[in-house]
Amino acid sequence: MNSLYDNRTLQWIVYFVFFAVLAVLPMFIENAFTTNLFSRFIVLGMLALSVSVVWGFGGILSLGQGIAFGLAAYGMGMTMQMQSQDPVNAPIPSFMLTNELTELPALWIPFWHTPTGIALALIVPTIFFGVFGAMMFQARLVGVFVAIVTLAMLSAWYSMAFDMQPYTAGFNGISPPAPLNIAGHAIDPYSHEAYWIVLAFLAALTLGMKLLLSTKFGLVVQAIRDDPERARFLGYSVAGYQVTIFTISGFIAAVAGVLWVMIVQYVSPTALEVQFSVSMVIWAAVGGRMSLLGAIIGAFFVNGIQSYLGDELLYGFLLVLGGLFIVIVRFLPNGLAGLLEMALARIGRSKAPGPDAEPGTPPVAASAAPRSQV
Amino acid sequence: MSVDHFWTAFAFGPFMNALLIGLSVASIWLIAALGLAIVYGTMGVINMAHGEFVMLGAYSAFVLERYLGVPFLACIPCAFVIVAAIGAVIELGLVRYLYRRPLDTLLATWGLSLVLIQTVRLILGPEPKNIASPEFLNSSVQFWVFSLSLFRLFVIAVTLATFAGTWWLMHRTRVGLMVRAVMQNKEIASAHGIDTGRVYTLTFAYGAGLAGLAGAMFGAIKNVFPDMGSGYIVEAFLVVVVGGVGSLIGSLVSAVGLGEIYSVFAYFTNGTFAKFWLFLLVVVFLRFRPQGLFAESLGRR
Repeated sequence: MNSLYDNRTLQWIVYFVFFAVLAVLPMFIENAFTTNLFSRFIVLGMLALSVSVVWGFGGILSLGQGIAFGLAAYGMGMTMQMQSQDPVNAPIPSFMLTNELTELPALWIPFWHTPTGIALALIVPTIFFGVFGAMMFQARLVGVFVAIVTLAMLSAWYSMAFDMQPYTAGFNGISPPAPLNIAGHAIDPYSHEAYWIVLAFLAALTLGMKLLLSTKFGLVVQAIRDDPERARFLGYSVAGYQVTIFTISGFIAAVAGVLWVMIVQYVSPTALEVQFSVSMVIWAAVGGRMSLLGAIIGAFFVNGIQSYLGDELLYGFLLVLGGLFIVIVRFLPNGLAGLLEMALARIGRSKAPGPDAEPGTPPVAASAAPRSQV
Repeated sequence: MSVDHFWTAFAFGPFMNALLIGLSVASIWLIAALGLAIVYGTMGVINMAHGEFVMLGAYSAFVLERYLGVPFLACIPCAFVIVAAIGAVIELGLVRYLYRRPLDTLLATWGLSLVLIQTVRLILGPEPKNIASPEFLNSSVQFWVFSLSLFRLFVIAVTLATFAGTWWLMHRTRVGLMVRAVMQNKEIASAHGIDTGRVYTLTFAYGAGLAGLAGAMFGAIKNVFPDMGSGYIVEAFLVVVVGGVGSLIGSLVSAVGLGEIYSVFAYFTNGTFAKFWLFLLVVVFLRFRPQGLFAESLGRR
């Protein structure tokens, strides 16, 4: 099974080429709106990456990635909102005044300080995923149970964000009036600069994950995905590894949440909607959940079509998306990357046993022999 | 929502009434969960489109009543039959191919739910519809400290009847025996000459039919709209998971338990807060009893 697809060197080359192409892309874009749109795709790609890590490699189907994304997004929204408040003249955001709050809630006070605010936006969701994951995996919840419990947790947070109007602005959401300001420098969400910042994070996280997943830790995580019982009998702490990979995926989704608010200057309960979290899973499945790059491309692909078709055709689009998803799950469980893998394997076979090549990742059937790449 | 009027103080009459409302909530969750419990218990399939079966039931009742003049009470069994038929088609066309891949079934049925929602939205429009329920159900009854609309009592009654019927079907008929045999061990059941494929189709259709029946009633309690199903699906799953997979009695007990807890929380705080704490409580509960209240153990699966 030495196909081009499994060649490690070639995989790294493809990853680097991919990010290099994305890096020069904005040079050809004049339109600020398009730049911003592409920045958004990059962030959504990051969410697909987090799904690929936890589901494709960890074997944990989490429908709650939106929790980390949403909590981080709210943290960032609060930070940016507080940047435009004045401690003396206007210490309280206006939506709180309309909700009859007379002083700033304690929950909001740390967000006066921008670095603290951003740090909280990243740390709180990550810790939450650690604790939540520990509860689930120490109880040895598996498969669909994890999916349902994460789903329930997500809807719990959604209803909180929706209902705690004085603290979260409820349905309307928080829309900070000014772009993020770091040490006196404002980051225009429509600029190339913002795009490159977002892309740098995606590249760093993707390559970091690819490295991590090829270490021994990554191999054990994949072994647990393929057969938790065997891994347990071999003496590995299954719950420990699962909690770790779940927490890491939560961190990635949290980074995405922070960056998302930086480029859209808005956060509302929709970030915590069930539909959104399941969409992330769909993107990763379309692109190929067992390939980090595949999942990211899946996010670009689905969202690209969605925004190309526009709002008018959106209802029809959801119909197509649902249908596409059924077809992919039914016939192509490893998504587009799986298709590429099959194609390359076929080429390799017909052209005699030449050496291998190509990006992305492994097995055709999840239960087949465990394989080790990224 | 300042802190002063956030907490509701205890008062005997309203509190007793909250307990009664808890029963009503429980009956709604139970009937939404019953089909799910049977399908998951028998086939190991998590049907994410279950909420959409509820929605289809509501629309069937709406169309029958509005355009064909069928009286509401007759719409309920019709909704059962129609949605059961749809369920059978879906089992034969899609679910059948995914039995060995439970996570993929979950995702495929999610895709299915998108398709169903959008199809209904395109055909019948996104705006909410009303199902007119008969006059005599619109009054409310009062006795002692209690007061509840007759319609909610009607839902409780139908739920209990459906539950009893399902229990009878599963434990007192030949078909039920076959279903339970397949539930315990598919291969052995098959070796004894049970057509497992047919049992699966029937089970899935029955589960879908129950959702349709639930939908016909929900549509009359609230409105009928394309994504109404998502409002029930999480609670229904939790009822199944807490009750224990494959246990009908477990579903009943967990529905009543969760419904009452929710209602009491909601009485002291508000609905959203109550739901948040309820979900959190369920997660903690599963930490200590992952197999649910009444399931033997997870080991066999």
